[in-house]
Amino acid sequence: MEIVKAVTCPVCGSLCDDIEVVMENGKIVDVRNACAAGAAKFLNYNCEHRILKPLIRKNGEFVEVSLDEAIRKAAEILANASYPILYGWSSTSCEAVRVGLELAEEIGGVIDNTSTVCHGPSILSIQDVGIPSCTLGQIRHRADLVVYWGSNPWSAHPRHIERYTAFSEGRFQKSTWRRYLAKIRALIAKKKLERAFKRIFFKREISVPPHLRYEPPPFLERKERKLIVIDVRRTKSAEIADYFIKVEPGKDYELLQALRMLIRDQEIETDKVAGVPVEYLEEVADVMVNCDFGILFFGVGLTMSGAKMRNIDAAICLTRDLNMRTKFVIMPMRGHFNVTGANVVSTWQTGYPFAVDFSLGYPRYNPGETSVVDILLRGESDASLIIASDPASSFPKKAVEHLAKTPLIVIDPHMNVTAQIADVVIPSAFVGIEAEGTAYRMDHVPLPLKKIVEPPEGILPDEEIVRRILVEVRRLKGIGGS
Amino acid sequence: MVNLYPKREFKVPIFAECINPEIFEDKTLSEIAELEVWEGNKRKKLGEFFKIEEVKAETEEPTITLYGDLSRIRRIGTKMRRGIIKIQGDVGMHLGEEMEGGKIVVRGNVDSWAGSMMKGGIIEIHGNASHYLGAPYRGSTVGMRGGRIIVHGNAGNEVGAYMRKGIIKVYGNVGQFVGLRMRKGTIFVAGDAEGRMGACMKGGKIIVCGHVDSILPSFTIENVKGKVKVEADEIAQGPFYLFLGDLTENGMGKLYVSKEKNSHLGFYEKYL
Repeated sequence: MEIVKAVTCPVCGSLCDDIEVVMENGKIVDVRNACAAGAAKFLNYNCEHRILKPLIRKNGEFVEVSLDEAIRKAAEILANASYPILYGWSSTSCEAVRVGLELAEEIGGVIDNTSTVCHGPSILSIQDVGIPSCTLGQIRHRADLVVYWGSNPWSAHPRHIERYTAFSEGRFQKSTWRRYLAKIRALIAKKKLERAFKRIFFKREISVPPHLRYEPPPFLERKERKLIVIDVRRTKSAEIADYFIKVEPGKDYELLQALRMLIRDQEIETDKVAGVPVEYLEEVADVMVNCDFGILFFGVGLTMSGAKMRNIDAAICLTRDLNMRTKFVIMPMRGHFNVTGANVVSTWQTGYPFAVDFSLGYPRYNPGETSVVDILLRGESDASLIIASDPASSFPKKAVEHLAKTPLIVIDPHMNVTAQIADVVIPSAFVGIEAEGTAYRMDHVPLPLKKIVEPPEGILPDEEIVRRILVEVRRLKGIGGS
Repeated sequence: MVNLYPKREFKVPIFAECINPEIFEDKTLSEIAELEVWEGNKRKKLGEFFKIEEVKAETEEPTITLYGDLSRIRRIGTKMRRGIIKIQGDVGMHLGEEMEGGKIVVRGNVDSWAGSMMKGGIIEIHGNASHYLGAPYRGSTVGMRGGRIIVHGNAGNEVGAYMRKGIIKVYGNVGQFVGLRMRKGTIFVAGDAEGRMGACMKGGKIIVCGHVDSILPSFTIENVKGKVKVEADEIAQGPFYLFLGDLTENGMGKLYVSKEKNSHLGFYEKYL
């Protein structure tokens, strides 16, 4: 039995790098420190949905072919297209993204990563108003106020709270897990008492259930680490929070602007904003102003609802306003493990983080015009390469219909929904398990991904596959290479 | 005067910055047909897409008339300074981008970013306009700096974002964020607005004659006015609630909202 230590987990944007993998005879038998999502990937990556041979669709049926033939076919499709799209890139290594950008430039295509459907609006707002941010280590040690807005880390980034925020033991800030346990015990005791009381005296519920109570608890004033969750519903993360604000769906912008007003000591003329009484907001604004180091994490709940990118615009302006009174930072909760890396590499190579259009020979960027979802919805593309992503299961129906109509190349380890409608399928190795590379954590810290096991025979990593396609495209166009 | 008829249906986006009266002027038909156009990533000639005809001019101004579905053709009339473009049909993005003078008349719908960053001239749209009407490109904080945009149908989100000068009139309804972060200029909406009018505006004037769901909490009521001036010879009949904002940006923009159509905003009157 062999233990591989300090493995980086290739699942979510938290990119936990303390995973220990237990190996036996070259196979993974156990995973330590990982959350359920991470453990599931390490233990079950080699499941029955794995593609082991390159496939090409001939007369409507998949036919197994050699890797060279699949690559030649893919290169032919891309080299002849007038407006090809290259989409995915967020669940692969930075090295693969770099080659992908080279390919996009060579074929004059549009390259876009999954931020187009998650944190793209955040990026647009950051370009409009800037971002005051920091690394997660700073937050672990110093943040005494943590706000999660429109995100549910307990379920989506399971170790985020434990490693970086409320439940982490920082140098200057203590973990609040004891308070959480006490709260849970008190809740259970209260429930038992209420039930007993009800059985003896009444035939109905006597008190308002806790999730309908709005007023901020008095201990929000205490000088210790606090957790506030703002969301449209009471999630698991909201359960563990010290204070939960339930915002009306799609009204986040109003709430953010109201908080900005209160932080600037201005009067609000309405009684309620987004369903929250202004007097409660005043207390929250007080807590925000009185903290020593605050952090606002926002998720897709904020970027993809109501005012979309303008929500983030307002959230960043709120952080900017707070910095006139105290220290406050803001950070997007990135989803895929290397979506930040895809943005970073794209910016470094082209100047733009996503939705880069090379069709005129130089990089052009205008999300809404050059973003892949919009291109597909308008039905403009004439070929697609999807890598390390499954848009057919997440894009709008009309977009997927167009994706299926035009020649489609899929590079993925699994037979996902997109691969099932593809014309060329090239299997790839799992980055972070069967191939090494670099990934960026949500706070823009690059971390190495390890190769722990050998990939199945004949299966190459994404970087190598894309490079071979690039060489073949160059050969077809008569430019260099062999 | 030149007429353009599309030869086939367009699938891939086409960038045709050359469709500009100034460029067409003093050119023969064969020279016009040689002008450079991009179809996706392929460099082509204008003559490959359009049948080009010369007809007797009705006016002195150089005029181009386009017919058919042009919804894939982008950047028509970019940076034009004079002349007239008439479009009988739908047209694609970036119509009249950075235009400085002249006139564009569209008898159809227009895609996003029409009149983006324009400095002068007139764009008249008889159908609907899409999002970002008169707004700048991504990341820029300088929007429309002059000129007029008149839309007889509806418009999408962020009409007149970052506006510095000029006037936009929409006779239908508009989406969210009319006049986002505007500094000066006038936006007139005869129909309803979806919400968040004048978010983060610092100055300028927005007039909404129809229904609005709510006013942003960062606006304060100032007055009720009977009539509001739209431009030199046009007055909007009220009464209107006058809100000032956006206070989060220390702005003093004026937001006029019809009193008649918005009885649910009546509670603001107690602060008058």
